[in-house]
Amino acid sequence: MKKILIVEDDYSISRELKELLDNSGYEAVILENFQDAKNEIVSQMPDLILLDINIPYTNGENLLRELRKESDIPVIMVTSRNNETDEVLSMSYGADDYITKPYNPTILLLRIGAILRRTEQAGDTLRYHELLVCPQKGLILREGTGSEPETEVVLTKNEMIIFVYLLNNRRIVTRDELMTDLWNNKEYINDNALTVNISRLRTKLKEIGYENAIATRKGQGYILL
Amino acid sequence: MKLRKYLLDKGLSVLLYIFMCFILLLLMFAFKAETSMVMAVTVILSGGGISLLLINFFRKKRFYDEITNNLEQLDKKYLILETINMPEFYEGELMYQFLYEINKSMLERIGEYEFSINDFKDYVEMWIHEIKIPLSSLSLMAHNHRDIFDKRVNQQIKRLDNYVEQVLYYVRSENAEKDYLITENSLNDIVSNVVMRNKDDLLEKNIELTVSGVDKLILTDSKWLEFILNQILNNSIKYTDGKAHACIRVQARAEGTEKTILTIFDNGIGIPEDDLKRVFEKSFTGKNGRTGVKSTGMGLYIAKKLCDKLGHGLMIESEEQEYTKVSLVFLRNPYFDVLK
Repeated sequence: MKKILIVEDDYSISRELKELLDNSGYEAVILENFQDAKNEIVSQMPDLILLDINIPYTNGENLLRELRKESDIPVIMVTSRNNETDEVLSMSYGADDYITKPYNPTILLLRIGAILRRTEQAGDTLRYHELLVCPQKGLILREGTGSEPETEVVLTKNEMIIFVYLLNNRRIVTRDELMTDLWNNKEYINDNALTVNISRLRTKLKEIGYENAIATRKGQGYILL
Repeated sequence: MKLRKYLLDKGLSVLLYIFMCFILLLLMFAFKAETSMVMAVTVILSGGGISLLLINFFRKKRFYDEITNNLEQLDKKYLILETINMPEFYEGELMYQFLYEINKSMLERIGEYEFSINDFKDYVEMWIHEIKIPLSSLSLMAHNHRDIFDKRVNQQIKRLDNYVEQVLYYVRSENAEKDYLITENSLNDIVSNVVMRNKDDLLEKNIELTVSGVDKLILTDSKWLEFILNQILNNSIKYTDGKAHACIRVQARAEGTEKTILTIFDNGIGIPEDDLKRVFEKSFTGKNGRTGVKSTGMGLYIAKKLCDKLGHGLMIESEEQEYTKVSLVFLRNPYFDVLK
């Protein structure tokens, strides 16, 4: 499980953030001791840090600069200050992303997911049981075995976005999350179109031998089995 | 300074002088002075009088003409003292001294106001950053506890956030200070961020959104432009509400190499012709603001001010009950490339 460290001095926010991250399959830890923040962070060894700019004793930008001297842990800066200079400054100190409050929780999760994948993923293909998924080519391949030839299906861009999201988040995924991911990828589709895309994706998965791979959980969302 | 007016002004003194000369001449006649002596005294008195008058006139003329002339040419008239020399006659010196004192006290007064405005601006900015903390808290809570909070809570949070942001940018736009940074930005990312912020509204109200041609780089401050676009898109969403086939089209096209035009088109209720030229005025709500949805009349006003500062064009076309089309024009200043 990926460990995410929350560096945020407002308790109501850090508590809700922890709940959000815990519910989304991460292990969230809240930094308690701000006095020696840098060493505390290093000793916790998180996979990602959510760093607020306004923190006691120092500020986020300084802390980030200190931290970068010894570690490459991905950092997302979170701030209520909303101006270009802060953003440029943070990025130049080595932040991986920058989000202004009040953030949309789903978008925050998307950004976290994107950064974690970017730092660990070597190849650009994903695996699902015996299937090879190539998002760039929009293909799902089933490698041929002795008797059976290799088969493939072509997914549209939207179908691929949905499938990859389900594949990267093996839990119940809400329609809203899927919608946010699609919109984030600049595909501004509506509710009906999402339903259509999911049913087409199901048909295509069936063609390649995975019927009922995507299950509906009533009132909650979908899950890739 | 005109001689005629000067003489008229000095009329009384001149008359008195002539009168005294006349009395003197009469006296001389009474004492039976010699004619040649009378002649000489007359020449001396009149010559002396005229030259005294002229010398005084020209001394003053130099000083006052300089002031008149410089005042005419100056754009900021209160800087007049910086442009003139200290005069060489007593009244002029007094005048100069007075001007100096008046100017100084005025500057102090302005300084006080500037200080208090900046103070206020700082407070508002700080307040906005503070208010965003509970707002973030709320939106996280709403997300974590969807069973208690429903979507309507999110909508209200979004409204709050939008109003808060309006205040922030209003304060920034009113201030001459430069807190923006023009860089090369992807129009696609900016549009996407704004659309994302309005995703729930667009889906909920079943508005068909198409975005095309935005794969372009423009010179702007991304935060400011996001705010501007958000105001425009918010209006589009607000005024298409309830239409059967509501649609919003965001489209960008390049004109030549130096001009990019972004249009936001909606088929909403439109703006009456009489109101159209006034939509960028402060607090102008117009017919739509009075009859339909609530409106503060600030969104487009601030957007226009920010556009002016960034050097973007902002135009609006509309036909009542048919459509509204807002265009943003971005220019690529060749100097920017040189600077790079």
